[in-house]
Amino acid sequence: MELTAVAEAVQEGVLPGRVWFYANYHCNLACTYCLTESDPHVERRELGSQRMLALAHEAAELGFTALGVTGGEPFLLPYLPELLARLAAILPVVCLSNGTVFTEHRLERLRPLAELPAQIQISLDRPEPDANDAMRGPQNFRKVVEAIPRLVERGVRVRIATTVASIGDEERARLCQLHRRLGVPDADHIIRPIVRRGRAVDHDLGVDAGPADLPAELTITSDGAFWSPFGPTVHGGRLDTDLLVTRTTTPLRVPAAALLRLVQGRPPGTDSQLNIR
Amino acid sequence: MTGVRLIEAEQAPLLARQFYAKGNPGPIVAALAHVPELLEVTMPFLDAALGPSAVDARTKELVILRTSAVMGCRYCIQTHTVVARNTGLAVEEVAALRGEAPLEAAFPDPRELALLQWVDVVADGPGQVLEAARREAGLHLSEAELVELTLLVGATLLLNRFCTALELPTSPKVLGRLAEEGWS
Repeated sequence: MELTAVAEAVQEGVLPGRVWFYANYHCNLACTYCLTESDPHVERRELGSQRMLALAHEAAELGFTALGVTGGEPFLLPYLPELLARLAAILPVVCLSNGTVFTEHRLERLRPLAELPAQIQISLDRPEPDANDAMRGPQNFRKVVEAIPRLVERGVRVRIATTVASIGDEERARLCQLHRRLGVPDADHIIRPIVRRGRAVDHDLGVDAGPADLPAELTITSDGAFWSPFGPTVHGGRLDTDLLVTRTTTPLRVPAAALLRLVQGRPPGTDSQLNIR
Repeated sequence: MTGVRLIEAEQAPLLARQFYAKGNPGPIVAALAHVPELLEVTMPFLDAALGPSAVDARTKELVILRTSAVMGCRYCIQTHTVVARNTGLAVEEVAALRGEAPLEAAFPDPRELALLQWVDVVADGPGQVLEAARREAGLHLSEAELVELTLLVGATLLLNRFCTALELPTSPKVLGRLAEEGWS
């Protein structure tokens, strides 16, 4: 079968293989550096499970190799555990979560993910509760360190994402001790900078990042397709459009082709330097 | 006050950035930038339809300004009053195109008058265009000209309704020039 232009670009490393879905924009938390100004009261802007499934099938047909689900807090959507299993049957999937809404019932519904190429990426920024919760809200640390081992026990692969302006060697060492103790290996721990978009602008946090700094991972939202999951940010209640690729998201080949054109038109040597992932 | 937020340069989507490279791209681009995949195909089309081509600039301005006047598009009438004057049209000609004086007195050339009558027929109202009107236009225009100028009426209609519906603002520079010459 002839490769699509996208498949060829992914195979050659010109285009990242992952397609992201913004499942929703609402969240039970209101973190100080949140890209999307998410909180419990924002407009939900759900993508919808049927649409995500259809897009996932098309992503696979086009030659993308992985999926990502983010938000908001995706696990506020009642259908998410079963949806993740269905997505993982199409392409390997990682789902980002704040790790604070894993009830026993929800954990049990996630058990099938153990047999599938699926990961849950949970945010944990600091090795001590006070410092962690200052950015992410009260009780966040306690809930996260409770949830991670319970996911690991069920065979669900967990990745930990640490988002910080900076972290010293000693604190980093304590954080790594903690994630190992929780059952997450070093290979599944990433540390990344705060990106100065969304609520981070109001708190004077993070680094400026443009297309040259952000991997061109096609990101689908209810508002359109974006250059990266760091693209569809919200500031002052208004969606940022500077990293918008197309408003069209279905068929997926439309934004995929536009993104590929943009990537191919990017001058050489402008790969990400900021470790934003 | 516009009917839609105009996208400023720092929020310009990736596919739209080329249109902001030389500064303020104007309200049509700044509105279309909300849907960048449409912007990037619409602007080349408009450039081809309204810009330099096999038909001379004067003839094209006759069509654009007359169509805009028939449609009552404030933005396009104001903007193309200035463009028409810059293209060399006389004050009397522009006034006639704007519907402020009879066409017949301002355009004694039978070809131009036939073209303007064709524009009026095409732009003014729904339904079929009478064969007699098409035949009359065809006496003065080649088939290629008839096709190109009819498409120009259509492209102008698109802009007329877009600019009117979204209440796009006329640029201060154009408003200044209109005031200087005493146009509304």
